[in-house]
Amino acid sequence: MIGGSLFRWTMAYFAAALAWLLVALALMLGGVGYPAADIASPDTLVLVHAVTIGWLSLAMCGALFQFVPVLVAKPLFAEPWALPALGLLTSGLVCLLAGFLALGGRLPLALWLLPVGAVLLVTGFTLVVVDLGLTAWLRPTGPASFVLVGLASLCATAAFGSIFAFALAGWGGSAGEAVLASGVPLHAIAGLGGWLTLTAMGVSYRLLSMFMLSPDVNERQSRITLATGALAIAVTVAGGALAIGLASGMSAVLLLAGVLGLVSAALYGRDVAGIFRNRKRRQLELNMRIATLSFASLAGVAVLGVALIAVGELAAQVGAFTFLAVFGWLSGLVLAKLYKIVAFLTWLETYGPVMGRTPTPRVQDLVAEGRATKWFVIYYVAVWAGTLTLLAGEPGAFRLAVAAMTLGVAGIIREIVRIRRLADVAHPLRLPGGAIAPHLLFARN
Amino acid sequence: MTEALVARVRDALRVVIDPELGQNIVDLGFVYDITTDGGEVHITMTATTPGCPATGFLKDGVQAAVAKIPGVVAVDVAMTFEPPWTPSLIEPAIRASLGFAAVN
Repeated sequence: MIGGSLFRWTMAYFAAALAWLLVALALMLGGVGYPAADIASPDTLVLVHAVTIGWLSLAMCGALFQFVPVLVAKPLFAEPWALPALGLLTSGLVCLLAGFLALGGRLPLALWLLPVGAVLLVTGFTLVVVDLGLTAWLRPTGPASFVLVGLASLCATAAFGSIFAFALAGWGGSAGEAVLASGVPLHAIAGLGGWLTLTAMGVSYRLLSMFMLSPDVNERQSRITLATGALAIAVTVAGGALAIGLASGMSAVLLLAGVLGLVSAALYGRDVAGIFRNRKRRQLELNMRIATLSFASLAGVAVLGVALIAVGELAAQVGAFTFLAVFGWLSGLVLAKLYKIVAFLTWLETYGPVMGRTPTPRVQDLVAEGRATKWFVIYYVAVWAGTLTLLAGEPGAFRLAVAAMTLGVAGIIREIVRIRRLADVAHPLRLPGGAIAPHLLFARN
Repeated sequence: MTEALVARVRDALRVVIDPELGQNIVDLGFVYDITTDGGEVHITMTATTPGCPATGFLKDGVQAAVAKIPGVVAVDVAMTFEPPWTPSLIEPAIRASLGFAAVN
């Protein structure tokens, strides 16, 4: 976006991500994976990776390719890598999920699909990490430093995941078996806590400040938040790997990481509250109002985690805990920000080039917030209800909640498509002279 | 003549809006200075925030709007963030309609 240019493939990443979210919701509706199956079952692995790689990681990559150059005021290191990366990630995920289905006996036994999927995914993520990492490294301050730690966490997550894939195929040796036996929490914490959460935190600082016209968070303050979160991930990965090597228990490592994670989340809450308090725009747009539900969900995740540890139920209820983190905190925030980012980028792409030559609409003219509000509300009520049904051990009620989530997500996707089609822009301003209607899946830059 | 051209430039700039705030950049107080030297126009302007991705489009839009004015032979647009823009620079009636605090 330097000098007015737009990253060409953000919409393609977002479209692929939303398609995977629908796949994941369909799986849950169909009773595939937790809670219908055991939390460690191959079916649950299919579900978890459709959500974390397909939905959340692709959405995050699409947003980062657009915004990291803005954060550092430099162009992307290698923009042509982005589309091959999307192809590698998509084909790798399909192979990985097919491997899990084979592991669970739903497909003919072809466990070699797991390492093949892992290699494709690692190759795709390597392109992403090198491209974004070398770009963010040019100015590693503020939100860009969160992105760098997030990318490092992604490397750790992918490394653990690859070892698991080879071990499940029987190619991991005794070391691979040992890592597979104890390393799943490390993989999950590095992925959800490091890659997805720390990156989302960093990007949210910039987006919240930019769209609410609030001063940036004090650099020293956000550094402490990041350092605490990064330490939590470092303790998890290094301490956990050491514990596996020494064949000792991992409770102490996970407890320390949990405390650090909790402190980081609290500091982030303080930072975000400051951004809201100091904003110059008093009226909140829909995406900001919905983002507050995401922050409330993150607080809920923290409270739930502490409560479950206090009553000794964390292991038994880790599914509900993870569900709230993934769908309440991360997915809710990503959906809210997609709604805004798509409108903003579509405006820049369509009307930016003709500004000054002809009257143009506002970004807010591309959206119909009144209509979109109900889909977001349905989504959030369903997510919270789904969390409660999981805690209560009611899989039938959980599927009803997922049905409502699916309705909400379908409505949000429809709104996003309408934004891209300029469907809600009043006619005289919709396509003024010289303006070109945007393509649904890529930017004509 | 100079004052008349500055007024025409100011008028022409009302077609350029901040896409987020939805108001023209003149009423928003983004235009810090307009000077003319014969047919050359020099504009110093700002945007809401230095990292705003719309900044490049705003600058290009200003260039395009002023270049259309009869008698203008060259346009120079300088983007600055010193002093930083604040809502106090918005025309009071518009500031209220945008939901900004009066002093911020």
